[in-house]
Amino acid sequence: MTTKLIARDAVWHGSASGSPDVRDRTHRWRALLWSILYPRQGQRILPTVPGTLLIAVALGIGMAAYNTSSNILFIALSLLLACLVFSGVLSWLNLRGVAWRLRLVPPLRVGLEQLVSLELRNGKRVLPTYGLWFDFTATGVGPVRRALGGRLDPQTEMRVEWTLRPAKRGLLVVQLVAVGSLFPFGFLRKLIGSELRCEVIVWPAPVEYRRFSADSWRRPGLGGQKTTAGQGGDLLALRAYAQGDSHRLVHWKASARLRRLMVRQFAAEMQTGFSFWVTTSADIWTRPEQFELLCSFAATLAEDYFRAGRLAAVALDDEPSQPVRSVRDLERFLDRLALAAPRAPSSQSYPGGAARRRLNLLTFAPDGARGVLAYVDGIQTAAA
Amino acid sequence: MASKRPQLSLPELYQLKWLLGGMLALISAWTVLYMDVEAWLWLVLISLAAPLVMAWPALILRVPRGVHRLAFPLLVGTFAIDLVLHVREPLSSVIRLTLMLMLYRVITPRRRRDDLQLILLGLFLVVVGGVLSVSILFAAQIVVFTACALGLLLVVTLVDAMEQGLPEEGRTTEAAWMQAGWGRLARRMRECVDWRVAVLGGLLFAGVVGLSALLFMAIPRFEISNGLFLDRMVSRKAKSGFSETVQFGDVVDIQRDTNVALSVDVSDRSQMPALPYWRMLVLDEYSQGGFRMSAALKSNLEAYREQTAQIEGDVLLRANRAVWTFYLEVGTSRFLPLLGGFNQLTFESPQSAGLNHDLRIVSLRQMPAKMLAYRVEGMQFGPTLGSADQMAGSGRQEAMGEGKVPDFLELATLTPADQAQLAAWVREINAPADNPAEFARRASAWLWRTHSYSLQSQLESVPGDPLMRWIASRQPGHCELFAGSFLLLARAAGYPTRVVLGFKGGSWNAHSENLTIRNSDAHAWDEVFDRAANLWVRVDPTPGSVAVGEPVNAAGGEATLARIRDDSWTARFDSLRVFWYRRIVSFDQGSQIALAHTTKKLVERHLREFKQALRQRFEKVKHWLQSPWDVRRVSVWTAAALALGGCFCGWRFYGRGAWLRWRSGLARNGLDPVRREAGRWLRKTAEAGLKTPEEAAVRIDLERLRYGPRQAWPEPLAVFRRAKKTIRQARRRSA
Repeated sequence: MTTKLIARDAVWHGSASGSPDVRDRTHRWRALLWSILYPRQGQRILPTVPGTLLIAVALGIGMAAYNTSSNILFIALSLLLACLVFSGVLSWLNLRGVAWRLRLVPPLRVGLEQLVSLELRNGKRVLPTYGLWFDFTATGVGPVRRALGGRLDPQTEMRVEWTLRPAKRGLLVVQLVAVGSLFPFGFLRKLIGSELRCEVIVWPAPVEYRRFSADSWRRPGLGGQKTTAGQGGDLLALRAYAQGDSHRLVHWKASARLRRLMVRQFAAEMQTGFSFWVTTSADIWTRPEQFELLCSFAATLAEDYFRAGRLAAVALDDEPSQPVRSVRDLERFLDRLALAAPRAPSSQSYPGGAARRRLNLLTFAPDGARGVLAYVDGIQTAAA
Repeated sequence: MASKRPQLSLPELYQLKWLLGGMLALISAWTVLYMDVEAWLWLVLISLAAPLVMAWPALILRVPRGVHRLAFPLLVGTFAIDLVLHVREPLSSVIRLTLMLMLYRVITPRRRRDDLQLILLGLFLVVVGGVLSVSILFAAQIVVFTACALGLLLVVTLVDAMEQGLPEEGRTTEAAWMQAGWGRLARRMRECVDWRVAVLGGLLFAGVVGLSALLFMAIPRFEISNGLFLDRMVSRKAKSGFSETVQFGDVVDIQRDTNVALSVDVSDRSQMPALPYWRMLVLDEYSQGGFRMSAALKSNLEAYREQTAQIEGDVLLRANRAVWTFYLEVGTSRFLPLLGGFNQLTFESPQSAGLNHDLRIVSLRQMPAKMLAYRVEGMQFGPTLGSADQMAGSGRQEAMGEGKVPDFLELATLTPADQAQLAAWVREINAPADNPAEFARRASAWLWRTHSYSLQSQLESVPGDPLMRWIASRQPGHCELFAGSFLLLARAAGYPTRVVLGFKGGSWNAHSENLTIRNSDAHAWDEVFDRAANLWVRVDPTPGSVAVGEPVNAAGGEATLARIRDDSWTARFDSLRVFWYRRIVSFDQGSQIALAHTTKKLVERHLREFKQALRQRFEKVKHWLQSPWDVRRVSVWTAAALALGGCFCGWRFYGRGAWLRWRSGLARNGLDPVRREAGRWLRKTAEAGLKTPEEAAVRIDLERLRYGPRQAWPEPLAVFRRAKKTIRQARRRSA
């Protein structure tokens, strides 16, 4: 999985999440008292305009009541105060038993819309929940508010969705900042701070590029060196399962006999395999927009080559090259590209030595002030 | 998961909001009915417009745009003119302005802000109406108003929430929801509302009312200063005829009204007079067709003390320590009903009031704008008024004897012929001289010979004094005619006499245990000055009354209360009003302290009783244990204990399992109690967080019971027992 959901994405949050800390807070009167005196971070109750008006009216009636000792005014005052208490009780009942969790399904790409959904669950037995809103923030995107339009019936679940379009690659943090409600009478704006956050890697945006003739590309079958085993028609051997191997390659009989997963290893065929080597040195990529183009170009090329079954290995800077056997390997590479930043110049003269030894090594270089060129074994093959 | 129950759409919520807003406007506008403010035009307009636009909301779209443009200047202009015309009653103008604004809000589309304005306007009207009238209706009205206002606010919040969740283009336009029918909304409401939620909402609202009652009692009371500003901003007119000038028939008009005029609490029921005469005002000047208060008396009455809370009388407390609490209804009079002289009169809230010591009359400067409560201590209630020891040292005896007595003998408005006729009648009465009591008896008897009592009395409109013509006739008459006739006869006989107006008698409300005096108890009688005793003697010349003094063999106190006891349905309703006055309107710091004391005593008493009961039980057990244990007793009790233990264990190990099996056999459609019980234990194990393999095995067994086929079930009871033990262990471990 290339996406890292730091915030225990499958765990329900909220008053009905069932987590021990929540139980402790609500079920012990001392904890409850302290939570009233010192509310949790982000938890606020603010009067709205009608609420302020109500308080002002209550103050006015109270002053008049004391000034005149009129019991009619005291009745009105006590009814107003009781309404405030009633409002608080209903608000508490409304939020009680409600839990939520954030769902964000990767992959995310710059410029492409992605659905962020907040799943809501009303764990109450009888009472529905109304009028909640949710304040989200995401890296590079301003605060967004989404509301629960209708009624969340007891013992049911609902989904609040938000279409997100990431603006830049890298780590995207989607956070549910607060859950708010004006229910029931709109006197008080109740905000519950939420620490629910979700970190997702946004891949670079796909770019359009131009390809050049591939006549000069060498094929490994013509005496070239083949380092990647397992991609080809002839069965070469059986080997232990490694992470990223396709499940189709599992040899079930052998696995049963040896009591561990074994996969079929095929010999490489007459197929062109390319190795990507992306250098991120700040010496080479001096312009930030050009660097962004590099990342997008490399990601697009890698995907296209993978789809064509011609992506053999990838390497970033001086790291050893990683074979690409499965989608997961490709996603890992795209994650790396998403998080890549111009690197300070390395002292090593020949970075990515292992990659350089490969055939059909695809490298990238700046093309003028804006463009990026891709080379296969030093021959220009595509431009973006 | 999809919602099972449908929910109201945005247009339907708009419809509901509109309906609630209209109801709110109607409820609050009707406050004007008991506010005595000239705003009938606006009240009628709102009462007509609100139901119309509630039924056909699309009508509001036909209101010309010009109305909206002109609304603000029109309202301001009308208010300014109204204020100038009624400069002494600014509150009335403000109320009319509120009604105008309310009318405008009723007939125009409302957004959130406008709904809030409507609620505020309504609250203002309800509270002001309550303050001005102190009516029990206020209690009912504010509860209904609160329910409506909270409902409206709830719908407004739901509308806002729903609109937030919708894109801009999906929001409802005004015209869209106005086309929908009310029948459809009612059907949809029935479909969408869960009755359990509705019942819970109702219970919670009842809780709000209960909480507000508790808050009302608990809010600390201390007075920063006194004086209600609102009732000075509106003037009141007397609904009754108890004023300084009374025409013949005025009292009879009051008698035809059966509404309550006065409620009286008596602290000591034994002090209750046999036949109470509630004196309100004294009239001394006769002119054709009526009586009035002479200028001399009036000037004496007008010595008001501003904002006084207490008036000191000149009666010594002595043994008469009963406290009388009066609740005088709105519009009765500005003269306070009293039985006679008193030691001290205390108002609930300060009033501008004056006491005339000679007449024993207390009057307010203005007609009270709301129910007036006052407490009187040391009140006299005999048939005579004023005595030597009370008047001694006051210096007013001389004033009354020398200066004022001639006023009570005046017959100047009568022609000499009439005066001669009067003298002839006095001779016919033939009473001994200087004996006013005897004269009163004989004169009353003389009048009763020719006149019977009737509320219907026809006086011919021919020239001459009407009272003289009535005396000469044989027509029946009412109390005013009898009292007036006696006054003329007594004055002609040389006895200073005056007419007194007020109430006679009353009924004892058996439910609220107070005296209720209705307008139908209004009465007129006389007082004759007895020079020998230096007293004013009450004379009631109306047929059916005892002319002078108390009725023979009349027993006061409980006997009187038993005689006038009223436990009818009307009394039941009246008791609500009295409860309102006693417990709500008159609730003050003293009541709060008394309530706290009562609560404390109650708790202490119950605690004491509980402790005593515990001690008694303990003593019983102790005694039982200490009594000799012979073989028979030991064996019987051992057998009983063993049988009880056996029953318990039998139930625990076999009975419950057998019961579950039996119920399980009867179960249909997933109502199997074993499966239900297993589900319950599964929830508990999930909460406890079982981790070890043994614990997981328990969970698997529970799942088999919950979901597995019945044939594959392990013994349910054993599994539940293991589950209980495992959960306990898991909890202990986590703790």
